[in-house]
Amino acid sequence: MATATTTAQVSEAEILPEQQTLWSDAWRRLKRNRLALVATIYLVFLIVVALVALVYTPYRMSAVGIAPTYAPPSAAHWFGADSIGRDVLSRLMVGAQVSLIVGVGTQLLVIAVGVPIGLLAGYYRGWLDSVLTFIINVFYGIPDLLVAMIMVFLLGPSLTNIIVAIVVTRWMDMARLMRGQTMSLREREFIEAARASGAKPARILFGHIFPNALGPIIVQATFGVPAAILFEAFLSFLGVGVQPPTPSWGSMASDGISALEYAPHIVLVPSIALSLTLLAFNFLGDGLRDALDPRQKR
Amino acid sequence: MATPILQVRDLRTQFMTDGGIVTAVDGVSFDLHQGESLGIVGESGSGKSVTALSLLRLVPDPGRVVGGKVLFKNQDLLQLTDDEIREVRGRDISMIFQDPQSSLNPVLRTGFQIDEAMLAHGRPKAEAHARTVDLLKQVRIPAAESRVKDFPHQLSGGMRQRAMIAMGLSNAPQILIADEPTTALDVTVQAQILELLGDLNRELGAAVIMITHNMGVVAGLCTRVIVMYAGQIVEQGTVEQIFANPQHPYTWSLLRSMPRVDAVRHERLRSIEGIAPDLLHPPAGCRFHPRCPFRIEKCYTDEPVLEEHGPDNLAACWVTMDRARKEMGADDLVDIRPGAGSGVHKGQVK
Repeated sequence: MATATTTAQVSEAEILPEQQTLWSDAWRRLKRNRLALVATIYLVFLIVVALVALVYTPYRMSAVGIAPTYAPPSAAHWFGADSIGRDVLSRLMVGAQVSLIVGVGTQLLVIAVGVPIGLLAGYYRGWLDSVLTFIINVFYGIPDLLVAMIMVFLLGPSLTNIIVAIVVTRWMDMARLMRGQTMSLREREFIEAARASGAKPARILFGHIFPNALGPIIVQATFGVPAAILFEAFLSFLGVGVQPPTPSWGSMASDGISALEYAPHIVLVPSIALSLTLLAFNFLGDGLRDALDPRQKR
Repeated sequence: MATPILQVRDLRTQFMTDGGIVTAVDGVSFDLHQGESLGIVGESGSGKSVTALSLLRLVPDPGRVVGGKVLFKNQDLLQLTDDEIREVRGRDISMIFQDPQSSLNPVLRTGFQIDEAMLAHGRPKAEAHARTVDLLKQVRIPAAESRVKDFPHQLSGGMRQRAMIAMGLSNAPQILIADEPTTALDVTVQAQILELLGDLNRELGAAVIMITHNMGVVAGLCTRVIVMYAGQIVEQGTVEQIFANPQHPYTWSLLRSMPRVDAVRHERLRSIEGIAPDLLHPPAGCRFHPRCPFRIEKCYTDEPVLEEHGPDNLAACWVTMDRARKEMGADDLVDIRPGAGSGVHKGQVK
């Protein structure tokens, strides 16, 4: 009797389709992509480092003269010291915070700005679409570095202002993507069915179209993160980014550039960290794009 | 009979295409009575779906309802504001579509989508949620309690269509418009869905408008039939009259071209000669005349209007089948309605 019940249960479990959602499916495919998996592990490690830096760094990141100036990497100072004897590892850890906040922060804002604009343009079309598309094209036309520098100059170089400046120059890709997605999704039958059941436009836009475009949005945002991090590093390298004593990978590299010949580690360490992080986000973006592609049912 | 619940008068819907204006629905008028089940039949492009969409002002771009009246409970739906018509959609008149595969949102849970149809019309969340399970039971989805959490792709085609019907019924509408609800399903499931629609029509008293190209579906479900051709109604009558004694040659041809189990073996399946007219340039006179086997001179030039040819029967034809049978040797039809006594079952029918 007991055996019979067990058999029945087993066969039932086999017959019923596994409770799989789009996301668990995507996660399964992502795990199978080696590069994306390694990138994910690296990024989790980076996030942990940034969080640890909130409460602990080997030395105080702004403490001057705790090591000989230009000291090369050693057991006491793994990544050496900079031109005024600060511990590079401690500064690198705090710099990771800056990079992650800038990268993720800009993309969240880009989504908040670009998605509604794209939804409105794609759904209502007509004159609204023409106006919004025109605005998008105008923003594409302006030189991003110049605008960002002017904005930071006018608003003052705080982390928030840098994020705002990057968003102002980088929201258009997301709006354009969302507009295209909306235009194709609005013709689908379930949107017609939602309209026939009396759903309000806001409900159709954010409740039906937006969740269906979430895959491409996530991929786009993932590719946007390294671009934003690089932009911030560039601004900081030029001296209009995050202000001292807060370290940014860009400003750290900038600090070390004059001593490149006899203390290359000051430039190399933040540059390698930056490169690895950009690479990891790009691999993750690639992996997500494949994993979230509905046509790819592997 | 009491006043009709829906009165459609001279409905005209046009599509502004690059090639010119296509009048997809051209002067359609009909009544729908409370609790009735009305079939609208016609081949692809006859304007039957656009008629249904026009009633709720859901015609997609570049289409537009350009004239006529749709009176529901004495208010003209075509005159309502966007917010007012939205209240009518899904609450008083709901619609189910052809392909259940694509008319449920793939990323939202099935139960949530049914809840939503009720939330859109102001029902409290907890109540809507409880009713969803009841509705799924009512449309005979097994294990309804666990199915509400399923995503559409976890349901079979038949179950998805049942879920769509549950969604359509969620606000207890007075009219349910079903646009080819069985076309995308396989035959056994088709029969189940039709039976379900018939039962719901009887039990809930909601009027059903069944849009289909399948005469068999009409025979099984409807009490009254409208036959459309090239954007116009060519014949209208009770299901008995339409199947036993159609007056328009198009209706007659449709019925004659149905595959039948009791047909003489090895007989070729008959089709209607020619193709449906190009609505950019509809033929002059009667729109069916290029394909009509019984056309006369007048059909080439004069457009026929709907005229009464019997009790509760209207047809737009200069000849009509009564005359075609008498004078032009048209075949008699065998009534195919269930229980109507076709050749094979003759002995068993009372």
